[in-house]
Formats: sequence, structure tokens, C-alpha cells
Amino acid sequence: MEKLTRFSYFLVLCLFAWSSSYAQKKTVSGKVTELESGKPIPGVNIIVKGTMAGVATGAAGEYTIVLPDEAEVLIFSSVGYTSQEITINGRSVIDVTLEAYVQSLKETIVVGYGVQRRSEVTGSVSVVSGRELEEHPGFNALQSLRGKVSGVKISTNSGSPTGSNRVVIRGIGTINASTNPLYIVDGVALDNIETMNPNDIQSVEVLKDASATAIYGSRGANGVILVTTKRGGTEKGLRLEYNGDFSIGRLARKIDVMNAKEFMEVQRIGYENAPIFKNYAPGQEPVIDLSDRRIFDAQGNPLYDTDWQEEATRTALTHNHQLSVRSKGESGSFGAFLNYTDAEGIYLNSWTKRASVKLVYDVSLAKWLSLGTNTTITKTWANNVSETGGGFHASRAITEVPPIFPVKWPEGTWSNSTEISGFTFEGQPNPVHRLLEEDNLANGTRLFGNLFLDFKLASYLQFRSQVGINNYLSENRYYAPTDMITVGFPDGYASISNGKQTYWQNENYFTYTREFGSHRLNGVLGASWQQNLASGNAMSARGFTNDFFNFNNIGAASTQNPSTSYANDWSMNSYFSRATYTYKDRYTATFSGRMDGSSRFGKNNKYGFFPSGGVSWLVSNEDFMRNVKAIDHLRLRASFGVTGNTEIGLYRSLATIGSGTTLIGGQRVARSFAQRLPNSDLEWERTRQFDAGIELTMFNQALLLEADYYNKLTYNLILDRPIPTSTGFGSITDNIGSVSNKGIDLKLTSRNINTENFTWSTTLNFNYNKNRIESLGLNNEDIFPGPNWVAGSQTILRVGEPVSSFWGYERSGVWGSDEAEEAAKVGAIPGEAKRSTEKTIIGKGIPDVTGGLFNRFNIGRFDALIDLQVSLGADIMQQFLATAEDRQGLTNGISTQLYDAWTSDKQNTMVQRIRHTVLSGQNLQPDTRWICDGSYIRGNLFSVGYNFGQRMLATMGLSQLRVSLSLENAFVIHSKDFKGYDPESSTWHGDNFGQNIFFYEYPKARTLTFGINVRFK
Amino acid sequence: MKKYMFIITALLMVGCERFLIEEPKSEQSLDQFFQSAGEGRSFVNTLYKSGATGFYDPGGFTGSIAMMGGYISGLFDNEAKGERIEPLRAQNLSFNAQNMSEYLDRWWSSAYSAIATANTAIKYIPNIPGIPDAEKNQLLAEAKFFRAFNYFFLVKNFGGVPLVTEPYFNTEGIYVDRAQIVEVYNLIVEDLEWAVNQDNLSNNNFVTNNFRITKGAASALLADVYLQMSGYPLHAESNYAKAAAITKSIINSGSYQLIQNGALPEKSAYNVMRTSDKESEYVFSIEFDPVIYGVSSPSVSLPGSIRPPGLKYSRTYNAYRPTDQYIALYDETKDLRVQNQQLFFKSVDVRGEHFEFGEYAPYLFYDTVALYETARGGQDMRVYRYAEVLLIAAEAIAFTEGVTQEAVKYLADVRARAYWNTSRNEIESTLSGLTKDEFIKEVWKERYRELALDYRIWSDIQRTRLYPVGSAGGNINFVNVVGHTNPWGATYKEHHLLYPISDNEMQRNPKLEQNPGY
Repeated sequence: MEKLTRFSYFLVLCLFAWSSSYAQKKTVSGKVTELESGKPIPGVNIIVKGTMAGVATGAAGEYTIVLPDEAEVLIFSSVGYTSQEITINGRSVIDVTLEAYVQSLKETIVVGYGVQRRSEVTGSVSVVSGRELEEHPGFNALQSLRGKVSGVKISTNSGSPTGSNRVVIRGIGTINASTNPLYIVDGVALDNIETMNPNDIQSVEVLKDASATAIYGSRGANGVILVTTKRGGTEKGLRLEYNGDFSIGRLARKIDVMNAKEFMEVQRIGYENAPIFKNYAPGQEPVIDLSDRRIFDAQGNPLYDTDWQEEATRTALTHNHQLSVRSKGESGSFGAFLNYTDAEGIYLNSWTKRASVKLVYDVSLAKWLSLGTNTTITKTWANNVSETGGGFHASRAITEVPPIFPVKWPEGTWSNSTEISGFTFEGQPNPVHRLLEEDNLANGTRLFGNLFLDFKLASYLQFRSQVGINNYLSENRYYAPTDMITVGFPDGYASISNGKQTYWQNENYFTYTREFGSHRLNGVLGASWQQNLASGNAMSARGFTNDFFNFNNIGAASTQNPSTSYANDWSMNSYFSRATYTYKDRYTATFSGRMDGSSRFGKNNKYGFFPSGGVSWLVSNEDFMRNVKAIDHLRLRASFGVTGNTEIGLYRSLATIGSGTTLIGGQRVARSFAQRLPNSDLEWERTRQFDAGIELTMFNQALLLEADYYNKLTYNLILDRPIPTSTGFGSITDNIGSVSNKGIDLKLTSRNINTENFTWSTTLNFNYNKNRIESLGLNNEDIFPGPNWVAGSQTILRVGEPVSSFWGYERSGVWGSDEAEEAAKVGAIPGEAKRSTEKTIIGKGIPDVTGGLFNRFNIGRFDALIDLQVSLGADIMQQFLATAEDRQGLTNGISTQLYDAWTSDKQNTMVQRIRHTVLSGQNLQPDTRWICDGSYIRGNLFSVGYNFGQRMLATMGLSQLRVSLSLENAFVIHSKDFKGYDPESSTWHGDNFGQNIFFYEYPKARTLTFGINVRFK
Repeated sequence: MKKYMFIITALLMVGCERFLIEEPKSEQSLDQFFQSAGEGRSFVNTLYKSGATGFYDPGGFTGSIAMMGGYISGLFDNEAKGERIEPLRAQNLSFNAQNMSEYLDRWWSSAYSAIATANTAIKYIPNIPGIPDAEKNQLLAEAKFFRAFNYFFLVKNFGGVPLVTEPYFNTEGIYVDRAQIVEVYNLIVEDLEWAVNQDNLSNNNFVTNNFRITKGAASALLADVYLQMSGYPLHAESNYAKAAAITKSIINSGSYQLIQNGALPEKSAYNVMRTSDKESEYVFSIEFDPVIYGVSSPSVSLPGSIRPPGLKYSRTYNAYRPTDQYIALYDETKDLRVQNQQLFFKSVDVRGEHFEFGEYAPYLFYDTVALYETARGGQDMRVYRYAEVLLIAAEAIAFTEGVTQEAVKYLADVRARAYWNTSRNEIESTLSGLTKDEFIKEVWKERYRELALDYRIWSDIQRTRLYPVGSAGGNINFVNVVGHTNPWGATYKEHHLLYPISDNEMQRNPKLEQNPGY
């Protein structure tokens, strides 16, 4: 209770600026010496923590500082030495020794099955601290990770609060299997971490090369993201902490959709042009009919000019609360972490909420036995706005429903685009109607539990047995009301589906660590069992007499669709090992490997072995480097290994019979059919990866560089290999084909300015990747993996080209008046698009270069961050131009239809002559007009924070208080040819090759967030 | 305690073989299947809605695959051809192995998937333990019917295709050469003759037999096959006699009747076809149902510019617009079929409002319940009607026996129904006076007029290599298709009579050779 009072007291105080007075001046004096030599150090900066007050030591290393009232801690820092914080505790003399800086050899990082000294890790591992993730306010841990690790491309492809992210590490190295990395949370494998509370994360380690990932064997090929969550208290006593974010988001950019006047002008010209496209008997030419008084006034002017982008979006309010309690006692520690988030999307009625509780308990049961456990319960609720490709979703209607319709008619009913006489528009519900009245509720409950026992068998030998369970229950409830055309019309549609997934794993392993003189040996040996059981059911119906029941009484509907259910499982049994040997703290060699057995593979190939080896040389520890003062740390490393990918569909190696129903004699009757051509030799996709890296720290840590070159070849590609369709099957799942990814990861940090009151550091994360398909199938057959929305597959897989190559025609212009004869040969007339006769590769959806540039500042008690993200070299296929520009008259579209359209006076254009689809048909094909440069620079995050000083904190009884303000997605610089919302996107979320193909995606918000972090004493 | 640790840890490291065995739960493995007659039947049931039977639904802007021949002939147009380019490519004959590859892939993969299903059924059904002979043979006959139906579609449109008669369980032997055209026909004939001659298919008509394959359906398909074999490219005219024999057996079975006109114009036979799925004229239909298995035909029955009040479809387009050249094949004064609101319509009244289209659209698919009430079509697509059986009979009899009374009667049956104000005697006497050649041409003309929306245009052009050129009064002049220029200005070359083999399929199967001319 007292804490709460203090808290409210502090809130009031926050509103005031405050000044400190210096009544009685206390002083502290002392001497600063070097730890190793005992020599005095001159020029050491000493400041009172949380203030600007500071002095420096003199030639003899001596100092005296006058303390302000609130002084509690002194900070001693000097270039070339590790700085120290010392609590004053009422002392008046404080002597200090500083340690000359060498990167601590003992610093450890988390790796697969254990921790290792950073200097002994031979693989490429990037670390992101929880603090760095917290810089980015948000609902989703993956979004906070964006740009922070070179070589990890995280695409936030939707602005929806429930949108998922696509994570690709070091390029797409697969075609049919998943590109998702493996997530290991506290040692337990998880399929995704989208709904995980980002605030629970202590650190994230990204394992990128084979030396680091081979211990995860057949699941490591896409890289591994290790998430370590926060545990109980590390200091004696109780610690209470609160974090809160409050944000407002607005549509960041509007599409240039035509208004009512422009739209009617296109209609008018469309009518005027009709005789150009079709012969009409004299006097029979179509005439525009503006007589519908619901829409037009007596003069034929539209009564409404609805801006659907305005009507269907809102200022989205999001708040996020995190409360943690941590304590440490004699033999154990405890932590409780609570989270509640309520996030709104900028589309009306699009939202998600999350509540989670995590409990952590670590205890030492005996000298040789300790136990740790954590349990997380996460509950999510959401209303999902449908947005994936095709279909008349709100995200499409917002552009396409003509602006001449009102949101609601004067009598209170929702408008739709068919409610007009004299015109035919493509029937769509208006987006506001759709958003507000269509329910698509998704609830999820995740129970994630983890228990480990550590047995200390000897001083050098430890055994850990760990059991993890991830149980996920999902429920989706959907209802489309009876008045929503194309969706629920005319008699409503309801569905409910439930899914259940239970994953468990048991892993047991020995850890051996021993030093013999200059030799250090570290080893892991263990076994793993994993099993995943999934099942679900669904029901749906239409035929409701009214909208009363929604999805709550599906039995009341007259037409019941067959209910469905499924069940499947997979299992794995594995053995893994790693051995690391280091000599003289300079030379390290690591061998790791895993033997994996997976139920997914053919009976002839159940087990596979995935080995790797790596070496590292800590050059800066060599004697000859002693005198190279400029270099603090230099390490070279190289690795080679093989990993696998098992993430393919189940039962691909078996001949199975599928079942369903069909119609014969007016009734549903059972039907059965062969599912696939089986392949009992099916085995893992394998990735062979070479990595060479350098780690360099220079000028007393002013410059840090970590760079890796990698060369990855994925072979035995699990491919739906095209086979003659005369077999009755289009393809067989087979291990044929290879894809390479070669590139450079680079992380460069520069501490530009480093004074007591002002620090400025810059970090650049950069990745260059070149993707190439090396072989496919038996005869290098082209594969057309989709998406198949407009006229065939929009991408092609072809040897020599990168995956995700766009497939379409070249548009060289529009047929001119003087080319009528030539145009006629292809069935066209002047004013229609001039295209190549055959399809070709017209772009690619994956970038060459991606990166993040972070500038961090500390000015006194202020801190600031500028986070810029860059993507270069990808193209965008603006599939939506099919209906927003090429297809005219039938719906609304973008204003180029009107302003850039071909006319006999303006022939040098890419936009076809205005043509009313309903009267005159149309002419659209995927072509280069839809392609634009997809490079962009995003102002991802600008934030500024303020840390309250000790005195203020003392008054409020707090140990830390930080407030911050951040602006997310401040700007995006992109090609002017790009007509959509955001160049980082995909409407084809589930599709490996759908990246950068847009058919009206959920737009992104620009978000302003106020954050607060309070730590109670 | 501590010493037990090693034992426990050792136990935790031991593997177990069974752990990795994969046992599907919502699918059955093949060796568990084909244990009962019911399983055999459910396998055969799949065939009713797979392969070439799927080519009749006109959804998705391109129009149905069955109508592609109508587009190639240039006699039908599709309003949505700018949205999906295939009908346009067909009309202006600009299709080739590359630009139509993905579209043609769908034809092959659907047809061969059905063939594979039939092959599996044909292989395993005989071994089902305890299956009664009658049921076994009935199921086998159905499977063979559908295998033949799909091969017939392929051989007509692509020529000699790979002939696969056994199911595959691995990749052994998957690269199959193209067979000779005659070999494909031989299999088709063998399958259908077996289906017709064993005695377990029903003698009832299709509707009475609850929409399962009857002897009549198999016979009608066989008759069509014989007819096609009699013409190009095989030109095996001896098949005319077989066609005559089998159509006579259908006619003599007495199970089928032409729908007769009721009160004109609303209750004409053609309007009955539009509104009723249960008529004894239907020899084989592809069944649809608004709830269980919908069809999109209502959405292609109205031009997009026509939006009557209460229309429940968000978009309609006239995918089957007969061109003026097609309409010219009819005698507009005498022929009921070309009158407004029979097979086609060019205006309609809805809720007191009158809509003029300025063009013809397929009235046969104008399903008012779907269009104005439910937005879900359920009209069956007819594949063989008794009218066609009569026309095949008339042609085959005339060829083999001459212009007999019987041949005249069959053609007159079909024509008299349409020529509502012409006396049957007049029709018969005109026909009786014709030479064999003239009479056969009269049958062909009648086929174009009667089977306009049964998708026979291109098959007839393929087998006769003659193109119908209409002029005033429904006079039709047959000209050589090769060298003829269609209404879209494209001139046929011989190779256009077959489609190309898709480039993709050529890549997948190196043994394939392209059709000449592509």
C-alpha cells in the first residue's frame, strides 16, 4: 500500500520541473591507481551518478569531489580502463583501483545446450540484450528484433496487430520447407514466438552458422534463435518493477485513391470511349445514367464523396503493462512476471489483447542438485481482419468501393457497391461495414512449462535433465451477417474451429568442463525426445433467418456444412554432442554434431547425422600483439558444417488415401482418393555452410567490428518435384535440387563520443546476400510455386535465378495511334498495353542488402535512439494495380487511371486508355508496369528517454524511473513508382515466395508511444 | 542417492525404435484400403467430380475449359477475356506451348488425376474380399467410363497422349512416350465396350438411376467416340456402323425421351432444360447442387452491364456470348432455339424493369433462384442428351444405310421440336429428298444449332475439318477450316486443330514430342 502511495506521489511530481539546492556540501577524496601495476592514473573522470557534477584526478591520481545532496554513487571512468561504480555509503575517503581493459575472457554467452565463453565460440552468434529489445515498444518480440542482427531479415508484412512476421536468416535456402528459424525458449523448442511477451526476454542469441546450429541438427538449417527469459532475483531481497507503454497510431500513408469527382470522370470517359472498343449501331451507344437520386443530385453530381481510408481507419490506442516481482533468498530465487496488453489496429475493430503470467523458481536442493522451473500461461484474444490475397477484404474495399457511396444510407442501412441503378460495379460490402460487422475472433491459450534438474556429478561434470511442454489451444469463431454481400449474404455464415497442439520434449545431457594447465576442455553429450500431437475440428453453417445468433448457435442454421476433424503427430529422437578444446586461451577447436531420427521421413532414411567443426584464433592474446595498442581484441574464426530442415508436411513418404464427400444423386456420398505419390527414400534437406569471421575491437573499444562471410548451399532440397502429370500426380516430394546463399554479415559499432555527459554511439548491422537456385528436379524443370492470383503463377523458380523471381510480361508502353496495324495482330488497339508475347522474369522479391543503423545518445540524464532500417535491391510486384489501375470502371482505383491514361494527345504513357470494363472489357496481365523498385529507408524508431536523478528517486522511494517518448515508423523513403502503403510487405503471408507481392495489404501505422519504467526499492 | 544418478541418467539416454513410426490418423494408408465394397464405391465416387467432368463449370473468368473450343471457333465470345487472356488467345489463334502452358497444365493434371483414380480402382476393386460380382462389375464399369471420358477429352484435343493404364506407387516408369492416336482410341473403345456389354450397368435412364452411370450413358459416350473416330484424324469410317448400332440400342431401350414443348414460349423444351434437372432426355449430366456442390454458371449468364434489381451476384459477365456469326447459323424466323429467352436471350424483365442487352447471352444458365435469391447455382451441366443420341444415329445411319426413314425420323425429331411453326411432314419430306451427303450436312447443321451449349462445336470442326459459315435464313455453308478466317480475323492452320503440349509438361517428361506447328 505504501508503495502505491509513493507511486501516486511520484506521478504528481512528474508534472513539475524541479531544481536541486545544495545546502550542506559534503566532500569525498581519494586516489585512483592501476590494478596490475599500482601506479596512479591521472585524468580519471569521477562523476556523481545521475548528475552532471564531476572532477578528474590529478597527476598523482588524486581527487576531491564536492557531493550534491542526492549523491549515492560515484562513477570512475577512464579511457583504456573498465569503469567502476562505487556506492559512497557515507565515506569521505574512497581509494579506487581500475582494471586495464581487455575484453573479459570469461564473458559467456548462451549457445545450444549450455553456455560458452564468448572467446571460445567458433560459430557465428549474435547477441541482443533484453534492454535493446525494450528500446522498441511493442506487442511482438520479433518486431523489436528487427534490424538488430545482421543477416536476420525480419519482415513485418502487415500493419495488423495480429499480423505475423517473416523471419529469414541468411537468405532463403529452401523451397518447399519452412524458412522459419528454430526458436528455443529456455531450452524448449517453439514453433513461433509471435505471441510471447517481449518484456520477458532477458537475451536473444541468434545462431547463424553451422558450427553454432549443428547441435540442433535437422532443425538448424534456417538458423536458431535462442531466447533466454528473465528469471528470479539476482540480488538479495525483493525487487518490484513496472513498465508501461501507451501509444497512439495513425495510418502512415494513404494510397492516392480517386475521389468522387475523379471517379465519375473516369466513368464518363469510359462511356465516351465505349464505341472505340465495340461497334454500336448508331444511336445505340451506351449513355451514362445519373438518374439514381440516392447517389446523384438533379444535376447528376454525386451526393457523397466518401474517403474510405478515412472512414475505415482510426487512431489506434494501445496500452501495455508489465509488472515483475523478483526476489532472492538463501537457496533459491523467485520471479513473477505479469503482462497485459491491449493493442488496437488502425482498421476499425481490429484488435488483440494478451494477458500472461510467468512464474520462475530456481532452487538449490542439495550441494549436488539444483532445480529450475518456469511456467508461462499466455492468453490472447483478437479480432482478425482478413487480408490475405484475393478476396473482397476490407483492405481491398477501402480502395475499390466507389467514393460515391455513403457509409450508411440515410435510413441507417449499410451501403454496398451494388446499390445503384444505371451502373454495374463489382459487388463488395463497404469496408466500414465489413470491419465493424464481420466477426473473426481468435482466442489462443498457451501453457508453456519447463523444469530442469542439474546434477553436479563431479566438479567438472554436470548432468541436466529437462522436460518442456508447450500446449496450445486455439479457437476461432467467425460470423458474417446476412446483409454483407459476397460474405454473409443472404443468410449469414458462421464457423467455429478448434485446434489443439501438444508438444513435449525431454532432453538429458552431460556437461564436462575441465582445465589442465594451458588446456581447457568443454563438452556436451546428450539425448533428446520430442513429440508433437495436433488435432482439431471445425464446423460451419449458413442459412440463418437473422443475425441474432451470430456464431453462438450454429445448429440454428438451415444448411450445415460437413463438420471436419483432423489429427496428426510427429516425433523425433536425437543424440547430440559438442566438444570444445582451447589451448592457451588462444586456439580453439569445436566439433559438434547431432544424430536425428524423424518420423516425417521415409522408412529408408529415418536417421541422419549433422556434423560441424569450427576453429578460432584469439590473435590479440598472442605475445606479438602486446604492443599493438590500437587493437584491444582480435579474433578470427572459421567453421564448416551440415544442418538439416525437417519442416515439411507430414506423411510425405507414405501412400495414403484421403477421404471426403461428394455429390451424387442429390446427396453427399463418401469419396476417397490417393493423396500422393509416396517416396519412401525421402530424407532431410541439408545445408552445407562455410563461415569465416573476424571480431575486432580497436582504440579502447571505440570501434567494434564483427564481420562474417558465409557460403551456404542447401542440397537434397525437399521439392515437390514436377513429374509428368500423366502419372496422375503433378509432383512427388523428393530430395532434388539446391539453392545457394552467399553473403556478408557485418556489425560495426563506433563509440563516436564518450564523455561523462555525452555519449554517442553508432551501430550498423548490414547484410549482403546473393541467392541463386543451383539445380531443380531431375532436368532443371521450371517450377511455378504461385501465388496464382492473376493469370497463373506470379513467381518462377528457375536455375540460375534467385528464388522469388517475378514472372510476367514486359510492358514496353501503350500501342500508339500509328501502331494500329501491329496492335491488331495481337488483338489490341491503340491505347492498350503493348506487351512482350511471352512471359519472362521481370523482377525479384528478395533484397540484396538489408540493414539497420542505430545511433544512440546519452546526454546527462537523457538518452535517445535513432533507428533507421534499409533494404536495397528487391523489387515489388504491385499486383493490386491489376484492379486499381488496369481494370477501370468496375471499381474505384488510383488516380493514375485518370491523370496518366493514354489519350491520342498523350501517347507516351504506361497507363492504358480509359476503358469501362463493364462496357468494353479490359486488358490486364501481370507485367512490368506492376513492378517497381522496392528499396527503402525507414525511420523505424526515434525515441528519447529521461532518467530521473537519485534525489528525486529517493523522495519517491524508487530506485529507477525512466520515461520515454518514441515515434515508430516515422517515415519511409521509397521509389516514387510505388503506389501502395508500405514497401515492406506481402499479401501472401504463408507463401515462401510471396514476399513483396501486394494485393491490398493491411497498412502500417505511424505510432507515438509514451513509456514509463519504474523500479521500486 | 548420488550413486543412483548414473543409473537414472543412463536410462534417460536410451532410444526406442517405435517412437519414430509414422501412423496417419486422418488419412488411411493404401494397404489398409480396398477392404470392402463400400471403400471401392467411395473411390469410384471421386470420379464423378474429377477430371474432364470438372471442365464444365464456367467459373473464374476464362469460361469453362469445355467452352475453349467455342472460343477457338471464334463463334463464342467471353466478356471477361481481358481479365483472363486464354479466350482471347483462342479467338485470335495466338496460343502456343508457352503462353498457354499453365492453363493447359490444368487440363492434363485434372484429366490424368482422374485417370489415375480410375486406374487404381480398376486394379484394386477386383481384389476386394467378398465383393459381389454384380457390384464389382458395376463399379469397374463406372471407373472405365470415366477413364474413357478423360482419355477421349485428351485425344480429341492433344492427339496421341501418354497411355497410362496402371496406377503408380513410385517413380518407376513415369516417363511415358506419346501413344498413337489409334492406341488411345482403342483403350477408350475397349473400356466402353466392356462397360456396355457386361450387364451390370442399369438400363434405366440417368435420373431414375439416381445420377449414377447407366448403360445408356456409357453407350452415348461410346457412340460419340465412334463418331469422332469416323472423322479426322483417324478417318476410320467403319466406326459409323458401330455408332449406328449403339445409338439404335439406346433409342430402342425406351428409357429416353425428348422433352416436348409445353405452352410457348415459357414452357418450351429449352426452358424446361433451363429449369429442370430431372428429365428423361438427359443421358449423362454433371450434377450440381446449390448447397452440396455449387456451380458458377448463373454468374456467366448476364452481361456485366446488366444489373437487374435484387441481383445477388456481386459480378456477372457474359462468358458465352454467341457471335453474330453463330446466330446466323439459325433461321431466325423459324427456329425456336434462337428466339429470345430460349437457348439465348437478349433482353429480360425483372421486377417490372426491362433490360436490353444489345447482345445474346446464354439463357440456358439463367437461374433466377440463384441470381435473385440465393447467389448459389445448382443447375446440372448436361454432357449427353437424347437429342444428341438421335443426331448421332441419324448421321451414322445415313452414312451406312443411306437416307432411310429411320435416319430422317431421328433428325426430324430434333428439328421439329425447334421449328415450332413448321409441320413435321414438311420437315420430313424435305429431308427425305436429300442425298446422303446433303443429309449428313443437315445433321451437322442441326448439331450446331441444337448442341450450342453442349460444347460440340470444336469437336465437330475437328472431325469434319469443315467450318460452318452461316448466312441469312440459317443457311450454312461448310468451308475448309484450314485457310478459313474466323470472325476475329485469325486464319486457321492445320496445327490449330490440336492444342500444343504445354512447355512445362515437355520439361517434365523428356519423352514427349510437341504437336507439329507449335
